[in-house]
Amino acid sequence: MNIQPVIAVQSLTKTYDKVEAVKGIDFQVAEGEVFGLLGPNGAGKTSTIEILEGLRPRTGGEATVLGFDPDRQKQQLKDRIGVCLQATNLPGKIRVQEALDLFGSFYSRCISSEQLLKRLQLWDKRSAYYETLSGGQKQRLALALALVNDPQLLFLDEPTTGLDPQIRLEIHGLIEEMKSEKRTVVLTTHYIEEAERLCDRVAIIDAGKIVAIGTPRELQQKSAERSRIDIVCAQPMNAAALPQWPDALESKLDGDGRTLTVYSSRPARTLFEIMKWLDQQGMQLEDVHLKRPTLEDVFVELTGKKLRD
Amino acid sequence: MKQYLAIIAMDIRLALRLRAVIFFNYLFPLIFFFTFAAFMGRTTEQMAYVVRMSVTLGVLGSGFFGAGIRAIQDRELNILRRYKVTPITPAPLLVGSMVTGWLIFLPYIVLLLYMAHALYHLPWPKDWLGLLVFISLALIAFRALGLVIASVANNMQEGQILVQLFYFPLLLLGGATVPSEVFHGVMRTIHNFVPSTYLVDGMINMMSKGQTLFQNWVGVLVMVITAFIGGFISFKLFRWEKEEKIRGSAKWWVVVALLPFIALGVLESMGISFFK
Repeated sequence: MNIQPVIAVQSLTKTYDKVEAVKGIDFQVAEGEVFGLLGPNGAGKTSTIEILEGLRPRTGGEATVLGFDPDRQKQQLKDRIGVCLQATNLPGKIRVQEALDLFGSFYSRCISSEQLLKRLQLWDKRSAYYETLSGGQKQRLALALALVNDPQLLFLDEPTTGLDPQIRLEIHGLIEEMKSEKRTVVLTTHYIEEAERLCDRVAIIDAGKIVAIGTPRELQQKSAERSRIDIVCAQPMNAAALPQWPDALESKLDGDGRTLTVYSSRPARTLFEIMKWLDQQGMQLEDVHLKRPTLEDVFVELTGKKLRD
Repeated sequence: MKQYLAIIAMDIRLALRLRAVIFFNYLFPLIFFFTFAAFMGRTTEQMAYVVRMSVTLGVLGSGFFGAGIRAIQDRELNILRRYKVTPITPAPLLVGSMVTGWLIFLPYIVLLLYMAHALYHLPWPKDWLGLLVFISLALIAFRALGLVIASVANNMQEGQILVQLFYFPLLLLGGATVPSEVFHGVMRTIHNFVPSTYLVDGMINMMSKGQTLFQNWVGVLVMVITAFIGGFISFKLFRWEKEEKIRGSAKWWVVVALLPFIALGVLESMGISFFK
């Protein structure tokens, strides 16, 4: 059976005046998948997502979302998707439940505001003015507004940016609920742990191009040759005496000579050899760390930049 | 229709929750009314003048500040952006702005006319319903102009400048504050091109000369055409986000929206008068 992707993007480009924000990207998102667009500010994530939401026209390429062309069938598309924008606002004097009822009236189908408020833990705040809500409550309301038409596809543009860690965890919980409901979610973020925790697949985007795409594990494996081993000894080691361990790509000693860092493609074997060597040298081991590469490492490796650059 | 009604209902609720709306729509014009009535409202004609001044002040304030500045503010605060992701077009928002402005303003006009009659013995206009319709159409026309200004202003600063450029000349040169009799020569010609002139002249005709709405059909037509042109331009140039900038030359669309008044100004200057 040939299952149509929920989103299909081919050679997508977006140019603002002379600036090329998106430079020909391709990807597909399957039904029920949580797909992450990961990249630093200005990478082209928001432009991409806003083209798919029907908010901006594309300059070139093809895109279909739920079978609609976001440029030509904007209204039909918007009726079927849910969107949580990066920067948005509501009138200060609107009450929480009023906002849901108002925005619900714009769609051909909507779910009860009462149900949504309870689900997003906003029931107690239903009569509060928007201006009195905390940052986390505002973000929960933004998510409630994105769900008001019971969409099968949700776009969440940096849904936790600027929120404190506890609220961020709450929002992660809500996104996981959406995932368990088999909704398709497209998420942009520059928080690595968010992508690692929530996304089934991630596209790393940099300077308008997708530089890697796959599951977080696949991406981490691409960088597996650079596992990092940190060894701390009680006595300083002699830099000149350090041998070339098997599969080690790079070794370095810190200033006082007590901490050895080794990058290895096969960390278990290298670690074993290091331990053997330390024992032969009569060195007393104080601490050992083995760190597999994270998405952040993959990102730095692929782009030469930090995510929050 | 569901979207229109929901937006209108919400706009009214929001407006009534804002102290600034209550102040600028009711208290401020009423303070103005009572102050001038106390000093100038000795004769019927003087009282009619005070009423015209208070109405014009309210219509222009509602049009340029209530509709224009408010629309820019909603865009600058990223409120319109939230609407952009929904399936609605700008039409319910624009119609909502017009209808809400009218519904909030109308009680003020009725109250004003009633107080002028009850407290200062201003006779009821012969066609009082026609007068309300005429003022309502003027309000919608000036709100449409306010929305055109909001559409062509790239930010609040530009919006404020444009609004002030229209608000004060319209207030001072339309005959509402400075009587039209004092304008001669070039000032008279300028007066003929000022849109509020036709609001004031229509009110003079219906309040002091016993004319009906039908006898002021040219004024009605101009207000209706302006409302349609203004509404159409603001729909076409509507921007949901502050980042969507419009080219500077788009400001000429304000002149296009003013074409009905400009045409009337040309005719008046040629001596073809529909009002006097």
